[in-house]
Amino acid sequence: MSKSPSASEQGLAGSPRDRWGWLPEWARPLERERRGLGSLRLAETTILILLAIFLAVASVNDIVQQTHVNHRLSADLLTWRTLTGHDYVNLDTEQDVKTHSTRDTVCGNVSPGAPGERAQVCLMLAGAVVKGVRSVSGGYYLPPYRADLRANRYGCFGLAAEQALCALGSPPAGSSPSPSLTLGRP
Amino acid sequence: MDDTRAHRGTRSWTPALAGVFTLVLLAATLEIVLDGAVGHSPLIPKSPGIASWLSAVGERLGYRVFLIALLCYSGAFLGILLLARRISTRWAIALTAALQLIVFVGPVLISTDVFSYIAYARMGVVHSIDPYLHGPNAISGDPVYRYVGKDWVKVATAYGPLYTLLSYPLAPLGVVGALWGMKLEALLASAGTLALTWRCARMRNLDPKLALIVVGVNPLWVIYGLGGAHNDLIMTLFLMGAVALTLASEMAPTPDLGRARREMYAGAAVLGATLIKATGIALLPFILLRRRRLAPLLGAGLAAVLLALIAYIVFGVHGVDIVSALNRDAAFVGTDSFPVEIAHLFGKPGVFPVDHDLLKAGLVLIVVHLMWRTWRGYDWVAASAWTLLAIAVTSTWLLAWYTLWSLPLAAISRDRRVLYATLAVQGLFIVHQTAPLLAPVS
Repeated sequence: MSKSPSASEQGLAGSPRDRWGWLPEWARPLERERRGLGSLRLAETTILILLAIFLAVASVNDIVQQTHVNHRLSADLLTWRTLTGHDYVNLDTEQDVKTHSTRDTVCGNVSPGAPGERAQVCLMLAGAVVKGVRSVSGGYYLPPYRADLRANRYGCFGLAAEQALCALGSPPAGSSPSPSLTLGRP
Repeated sequence: MDDTRAHRGTRSWTPALAGVFTLVLLAATLEIVLDGAVGHSPLIPKSPGIASWLSAVGERLGYRVFLIALLCYSGAFLGILLLARRISTRWAIALTAALQLIVFVGPVLISTDVFSYIAYARMGVVHSIDPYLHGPNAISGDPVYRYVGKDWVKVATAYGPLYTLLSYPLAPLGVVGALWGMKLEALLASAGTLALTWRCARMRNLDPKLALIVVGVNPLWVIYGLGGAHNDLIMTLFLMGAVALTLASEMAPTPDLGRARREMYAGAAVLGATLIKATGIALLPFILLRRRRLAPLLGAGLAAVLLALIAYIVFGVHGVDIVSALNRDAAFVGTDSFPVEIAHLFGKPGVFPVDHDLLKAGLVLIVVHLMWRTWRGYDWVAASAWTLLAIAVTSTWLLAWYTLWSLPLAAISRDRRVLYATLAVQGLFIVHQTAPLLAPVS
């Protein structure tokens, strides 16, 4: 049961003097909304509530996924520290954003120094987290202050060697030697 | 009788509760600022030591402490919102001012954007390099370069020419001087927006105290917006200026020259907002649909011609080409955006070009619906707020300060749904930050 609009609700729009008078009534501008739009408002509110629930579910799902990723990254760091015997804080972790696998790469200095100041040893980690660590599938080395690009890598072992991820056959001048590290879980 | 007694009981608790909430708000802000002043934190960008005098008290700000402080702040903010009608005006103003000043004296929080602003200004003024053509890596020898976020060093400015011109006078002050200048600009823009929000709420017979608290105590406004000295606050200042002028013209008893002038200024203010950040243009169609007069369009047109001419003289054609900057930014994808969260929900790794098209189509439908509703008498301020909120929600690149665009408008809207929606979106954004609290990486 909607009331018909009063003159004030229609403003000048309903008046014949109005410059919008040539428009059909349903298309004329109004100064205030007509009463009786409860059903439209109800529909809008229902859509908004459903949208809010949907966005909330998506957000919570994302947090849960992120906590799983964080759990995995913590295991990556622990694996690197266990295998290398260095308890360094500043390690670089890179996730596989190309194929969206759970294979991560963690790089850190081979000897104490500021991040990237020394040669880096990088480990490729894969598989499930078991007892807080993951399995090492391969790795390689980087000279100091060099980006993690194929052109800069040397000393590939395991999966990195199989996939030919290193362009350099031997350590460049001034870089550390590149012993292969143990594959599997440390 | 029982109801009255219960009501009296609640009222007697109000000062104590308001005191507790106020203390939590101040303590959380101080915690973030004092710990942030120590530096060496992933949450604090590398910065000149502008707040080192505060560093003796705090400890290095980690995710855990920051997120706990942010959640406590957000809870206290909701509490103080519920009590807003019962606390004194003086209390509300003092609390808002205290929070803003604490953040102002502290370090830059969360974002490196302010250093990009300074870099673009120094490119133009000190190095005579067009910031619309080159990224900050063109001035890699400049002292500000080391502070620019590594993702942005190759990116030319996406900000409007008016903002770039406003930043130019700060460039010769050196990095520290320019940084304080940017922080002061943000503080003044925030204060101006709050003053206009108060004024507009009174003009609309809404509670100005509530509107002030909604915006001025809001965690994302204070910690992220003001904390990062973001230019979004300058955009909201222009937008609220346009709203205040339009409301004043609506209230004028008879059509006169003053009313037309106010409407022209309102149109010019919207254009000013647009030339700070392009999303500001969202307000214009709703002012035009509401006023159904040429004056706002004329004001916007004259301002556009004048500012475009100045921008063309200073920056060349690239400074005027806001559309290409907008298109470039629209292609960015960030992990905090809702479209990415929805993609993850459906097992997709992220958004694809087709998703961008769908999002744009959805946004157009929303805006058309709101324009039609405004034409038929719906509150134009609410429609503008919905539009700005819809832009943020459908964007694949959502940052905390994008949720501030709609906030002052929502605070003075006649349709309370848009205020609840804006606060809900902000709440989800904050909740989405909490993963490091649930599963820290160490």
